[in-house]
Amino acid sequence: MVAIGFVAMFGRRGVANDLLGALGLDPLDVMGTLGVVVVAHAFYNAPLVTRVTVAAWESVDARAVETARSLGASRRRAFVDVVVPQLLPAVLTGALLAFVFTFMTFPIVLALGGLELATVEVWVYALLRNLNYEEAAALAALETLLSLGLTYAYLRYEAAQAAGSRGANPPPREPLVPSLRALLTPVRLGVFAYAAVAVVVFVGPVLSMVWTSVAGPDGLTLAYYEFLVRRQVEGTAVQVKPWPAVRNSLLFAVGTLAVALPMGVAVAVLTTREFRGRAVVGAVAMGPIAVSGIVTGVGLLLGPVFGVPLGGGYRLQVTGTTAVVAAHAVAAYPFVTRSVAPQLGRLDPAMVESARALGASRVRALVDVELPLVAAGVVAGAAFAVAISVGEFDSTVILAEGSRSYTMPVAVERYRGRRLGPATAMGTVLLVVTSVSFVVIDRIGGRFEDG
Amino acid sequence: MVDLHLDGVSKRYDGTAALAGVDLDVADGEFFTLVGPSGCGKTTTLRTVAGFEDPTEGTVRFGDREMTGVPPEDRDAGVVFQSYALFPHMTVAENVAYGLRFRDPPGDATADERVAELLELVDLPGTGDRDPEELSGGQQQRVALARALAPGPEVLLLDEPMSALDARLRERLRRQVKAIQSELGITTVYVTHDQAEALAVSDRVAVMHDGRVEQVGPPEDVYRRPERRFVAEFVGENNVFAGRVTGRDAAGTTVDVHGCSLRIPPVDASRDDRVTFCVRPAALDPDEVSNRLAASVTTAEFLGEAVRVHADWNGRELVVRLPDAPDGERVTVGFDPDAVHVVGTDG
Repeated sequence: MVAIGFVAMFGRRGVANDLLGALGLDPLDVMGTLGVVVVAHAFYNAPLVTRVTVAAWESVDARAVETARSLGASRRRAFVDVVVPQLLPAVLTGALLAFVFTFMTFPIVLALGGLELATVEVWVYALLRNLNYEEAAALAALETLLSLGLTYAYLRYEAAQAAGSRGANPPPREPLVPSLRALLTPVRLGVFAYAAVAVVVFVGPVLSMVWTSVAGPDGLTLAYYEFLVRRQVEGTAVQVKPWPAVRNSLLFAVGTLAVALPMGVAVAVLTTREFRGRAVVGAVAMGPIAVSGIVTGVGLLLGPVFGVPLGGGYRLQVTGTTAVVAAHAVAAYPFVTRSVAPQLGRLDPAMVESARALGASRVRALVDVELPLVAAGVVAGAAFAVAISVGEFDSTVILAEGSRSYTMPVAVERYRGRRLGPATAMGTVLLVVTSVSFVVIDRIGGRFEDG
Repeated sequence: MVDLHLDGVSKRYDGTAALAGVDLDVADGEFFTLVGPSGCGKTTTLRTVAGFEDPTEGTVRFGDREMTGVPPEDRDAGVVFQSYALFPHMTVAENVAYGLRFRDPPGDATADERVAELLELVDLPGTGDRDPEELSGGQQQRVALARALAPGPEVLLLDEPMSALDARLRERLRRQVKAIQSELGITTVYVTHDQAEALAVSDRVAVMHDGRVEQVGPPEDVYRRPERRFVAEFVGENNVFAGRVTGRDAAGTTVDVHGCSLRIPPVDASRDDRVTFCVRPAALDPDEVSNRLAASVTTAEFLGEAVRVHADWNGRELVVRLPDAPDGERVTVGFDPDAVHVVGTDG
């Protein structure tokens, strides 16, 4: 759960990005410089690169290294000759993904950079605000084409990796802190220096947000929370109220869960089976990862929300809640698939075949055998889905424009226009609600796992 | 119970043929074994019978029921895999009872009675409440067998079920499987790469190679009278010779092999026809006066009851079984023409 909490907080669409926006990264006044935008992105993408590289490292057979050593290679030489060539594709993949994500980044730049440093995403958003829909759509299409191409390249690489990584015998890991003296070696010092910076960049914003929300000009204060309550009680119909934001967020999260979970599991089952054209299905299914929230928002806005003529005078029109849930579900289901598919892939195929030979249909075998064995993955996927739905800002802000379906991150952004205090108070509410959701999912999931 | 037929079954994956026209007929209640080296198509054949693979061509029948296109869950075939594939989130009893969710137990036994009966049958009474991973490999495989048998299938399919077990356990378990199979009289197809195992348990054996069936017959036939060179070399150790006929008379045939004249029994072949024949290692005898072969020893392995000698004879390898290790680097053995089995001739 900790890891998912991290993703929720620090992920691409995560709470932290939005909070950063809310905070303006106060107390560091470095807003609007290219440097801060790059550093922020670098830190958000570093764990991604780490993850991909670690996965590749684990599939390096320790015996290959041992063989190299026994043939006379030094430790360093064995690393360079045996390990590095096997890691290189993964590192490149990590670079590619980081590139895609940064390419599509929205909240960080919006908050930190301003329009001088506008990325394509921010530009699309700006065009949209000026009601310049055609240009926005064209730009969004261009952006999607590029990032989809890169994602396809990534999936091709991943498929090749999966084929080669069977029966791996990963090298033993070294303890990070074997002894106090070892702490002083340059490598470990480097690791700790990085960790320290990471804490500042990741945890800093959260802590400072919570702090700001209770710190008034004359010491500790609950004034900002009072403001939220007062707004709730006294606010006019056109003002953004806190309770509807919380309620909407939860409603959308439940809706997203209901749509994204079955969809993600189904896609996972489909893509772990061997069949012709599997790579294409995989790429299409993973597409939403490469499609930014802004693009999803624009697509839904110009299509179903404004209405699609169906002929005969009928128009297909989807609005408000349904549109937001659709956008969130599309963004969330690839993460469900991502967390379920690897576990499904590791199951012995003879397990399902045994069930089928005993009389279970394919669906029944899935329910009786596969799902209980990948319950952890399903729970993680559910948490992802909720995290994405609750933290999603990009497409919600477009779809909620002018409607009553604003969510917590949107409320944070709206309050931010005013003063820092109320926004941080709302952000803290968001933090609490998200954390509680995780606990609930974990409990329910735990019960499911126990049978 | 039912008999089983494969007619012209072929399976191609992206152009490569895994099975190239397999015809097999397994009798009701027979213990039938598919044996061959890895990649020969034996597992693909079994999976086609189970319904996990659809043949590209040909048909599979259980009795007179055509099975092509029937999904595995509707086939009434119990399957046991090499990896046991027990469901780790269920107890032993729940595993055995799983098939009873879809089919009634045979007779008027309740599901619980049936589970107890089967755990008794595989000699694991009282283990129902345990988790599969608490059991040893051999025990897990017996649970898998009980699970496959619980719904009372018409056919039992065993895919290398012993290969993950150590040699001694393997022998004991295969006797146990054979005993259970005889007791139930269930039609059984058994897949193994181990020819000794195939010979030990089967009513009949099919030797497979490159997606084809090379020979089908009782173990004694396949061992003593191989019809093809591949079978002669795969089933048991053998010395296979190929040469040309140089003369024939009432008593036998003379064949030139590597410039050496060897006498074999009469064969239906004319002068200059090619003849392939084999002699088992134990039939190569230092005291035999006919067909003397002088060879240089390459290795001698002490096996306990005998010594296996590999020797080089005119550039080809001979395998000889001797009671004692040869002294010196050379060994001369002969063989009785009556110990020869002629694999084939062609003009």
